[in-house]
Amino acid sequence: MLSLRSVTKRYGSLTALDDVSLDIAPGEFFGLLGPNGAGKSTLMSLAAGLRSPDSGEVLLADAALSKENLTARHTLGLVPQTIALYVDLTAEQNLRIFGQLYGLGGRDLQTRIDEALESVQLADRRHSVVKTFSGGMQRRLNLVASLLHRPQLLLCDEPTVGIDPQSRNAIFDYLEKLNREGLTIIYSTHYMEEAERLCSRIGIIDHGKILALGSLDELLTRLPFEDEIVFPETPATATFAAQLNAHGQLDTADGRHRFRPRTDYPLSAFFTEAERTGIPTRLFEIQRPSLEAVFLHLTGRKLRD
Amino acid sequence: MNPIFVLFKKGVLLFTRNKAAVVITFLVPVILIALFGFVFGLYKNVDSGPGGIPLAVVNLSAEPAATDLIDALKLEKTFRVITETKNADGSLRPLTEADVRAAMHNNDYRFALILPADLISDDTFGIHLKFLSDPRNEIETQMVNGLLQKTIFSRVPQLLGQSLQHRSKKFLGDARYETFNRTIADTVAATYGGNSEEIYQRMIAGDFGINKLISSSASTTSSTAKSGDEKSSDTADIFSRIARIDTEQVAGKQVSNPAASRLVGGYAIMFLLMAVSGSSTSLFEEKRSGIFQRILSAPVRLSHILWARFLFGVALGTLQLTALFLAGKVLFGLDLFSHAVPLLAVIVSGAAACAAFGMLIAAVSSSQEMASSLSTLLVLVMSAIGGAWFPVTMMPAFIQHLSKFTIVYWSVEGFASVLWAEQSLVEILPTVGILTGIAAGVMALAVWCFKRSTMFD
Repeated sequence: MLSLRSVTKRYGSLTALDDVSLDIAPGEFFGLLGPNGAGKSTLMSLAAGLRSPDSGEVLLADAALSKENLTARHTLGLVPQTIALYVDLTAEQNLRIFGQLYGLGGRDLQTRIDEALESVQLADRRHSVVKTFSGGMQRRLNLVASLLHRPQLLLCDEPTVGIDPQSRNAIFDYLEKLNREGLTIIYSTHYMEEAERLCSRIGIIDHGKILALGSLDELLTRLPFEDEIVFPETPATATFAAQLNAHGQLDTADGRHRFRPRTDYPLSAFFTEAERTGIPTRLFEIQRPSLEAVFLHLTGRKLRD
Repeated sequence: MNPIFVLFKKGVLLFTRNKAAVVITFLVPVILIALFGFVFGLYKNVDSGPGGIPLAVVNLSAEPAATDLIDALKLEKTFRVITETKNADGSLRPLTEADVRAAMHNNDYRFALILPADLISDDTFGIHLKFLSDPRNEIETQMVNGLLQKTIFSRVPQLLGQSLQHRSKKFLGDARYETFNRTIADTVAATYGGNSEEIYQRMIAGDFGINKLISSSASTTSSTAKSGDEKSSDTADIFSRIARIDTEQVAGKQVSNPAASRLVGGYAIMFLLMAVSGSSTSLFEEKRSGIFQRILSAPVRLSHILWARFLFGVALGTLQLTALFLAGKVLFGLDLFSHAVPLLAVIVSGAAACAAFGMLIAAVSSSQEMASSLSTLLVLVMSAIGGAWFPVTMMPAFIQHLSKFTIVYWSVEGFASVLWAEQSLVEILPTVGILTGIAAGVMALAVWCFKRSTMFD
């Protein structure tokens, strides 16, 4: 569906994307995970044809995508990071303008507007001015405004920034439904939870480079440990925790220890040592590692640093 | 639907939904132009011009001409002549020079005329007056000086006649003076007819009939100096009759309200520049909201956005200028419809130049705040030196040269050519061409700058 071939993009002395290659298959829900400034938005703008690469090429359905290629734009839909709507106009007026920009009109456009508003539960607010909407409603309208022309590829650039969990879940449900119906989605985020929940394949990006690429399970296999053991940070656990550094990686934050044992240090050895130290086993919680751990492993930094 | 048309429609929709923008674009300029009309006295049926400037007059002279002079000053509506002041008990008494100086010190009034005891002297030929002023407002002082001189000179023949009689009396002595005047009066009566005693009385009052003599010999059109009543007008005309100047206006004969045609044109183009600049700074809001990303990810080129914005500016400007000229017709009786086609040509080309200017401001600015500040500065400078506020001929030569580089100058020239000089469409084509050229050049520069700016990134 979309291919990036050795794409490099620079802004002055800053290399925003550095020799990035990527293939997105039709029907895929691809997540682009990285911290702010990693190069996610630059990659999205190249994929949307808003910018041209300094070197390499971006192909959409095997055709080069560029600022000049307007035909390819009918295949794409972009959900910008910001609320890219005319907030002084009504929901319906916004959708009509953006639909008309794709050459839609008449009864067909009206039908699509009705369906779009219905799908995000905004049909009863169609004549309301957008600035009177809640943040979640604006985000939902921001999303469907990119879908009126029924694109084959939807580019979502952090589309849930600043909204409540309920609205976020509503957007997730809607995107998952669209993906099930065959829409290819590229979803950029710096929330690992979003990428873990939504994406069938994830690319971890930092400093303009794709550091890792694969499904969640494939990414987790890159870790030198299989489980994370979480327990509270108390005076009673302090001595025990200090000993763990010899057997793996220990992070302490927010009143909790997070221990990632090396593969040569079995869980049975861990619990035996805990029992010997007199720490009750009920304090320990074994978790599956997250993408946060993968990012930390790959970059030495936390995702939100 | 063409993206340019869609984006143009979007601009109209956004503008019409913004009531404040509509009011600021159309209603506020009309109100301000109406107000300026009052300030500059453009209303035909409304008392206009300056009026009621307090002028204290102290009369220390016993001459009859002094009283006549005060009466003439009272007829000038520009002045509110004050000759008396209140005593402690509320009764009135004539002003003294000391009263006047104290009152001026307290800023009760800023101008005073003293008619001294030696208003007309036995020793010198001419009259003696004293003018006191507090020139905190230079223009006001010069205006008062000018009006005072006009009124005083309207009484010059009588005052000089009295002065002449005083000197004659001193030179000849009372007896010979009376004999001389009676002999002249008898001779005039015998030669031209009339009552010898009446002629004698007029002679010793300084009235030698010069006014009537000149008035009867004057003919055809003369430049006039208007005053409060017919008598004053007659005397004021003396000098124009002595130096007869035939005046003919070769342009704008049919213009019903000449000053209004310049005022409306000048201020209209200034308000348009402000409106279009304000509209263009909204590009920054669209950039901030990410709307350009959404639009440019659709099958839309940057040129579509810029053309739509430019055309919207031209349409808005054309509407605003038309509305302001229509207001000028209602308020000041501007004759628009007999010049509709050439006027529309200037309006559209002027609106195009202003729209391009607004685009350039947005293109060279890095933020909305910078665009607002820059546009305010440039609009005010262009309005000042371009002739929006007053004619460029009143400015220094180098400013006059500089003014030709402004949109305001060519727009005001265009409006004046149509409404004042009544030029045809063909005659104003050079001005329209210059405005169109400015629009094209400035727009090309704006596009070049936009392509290098981060506005659409």
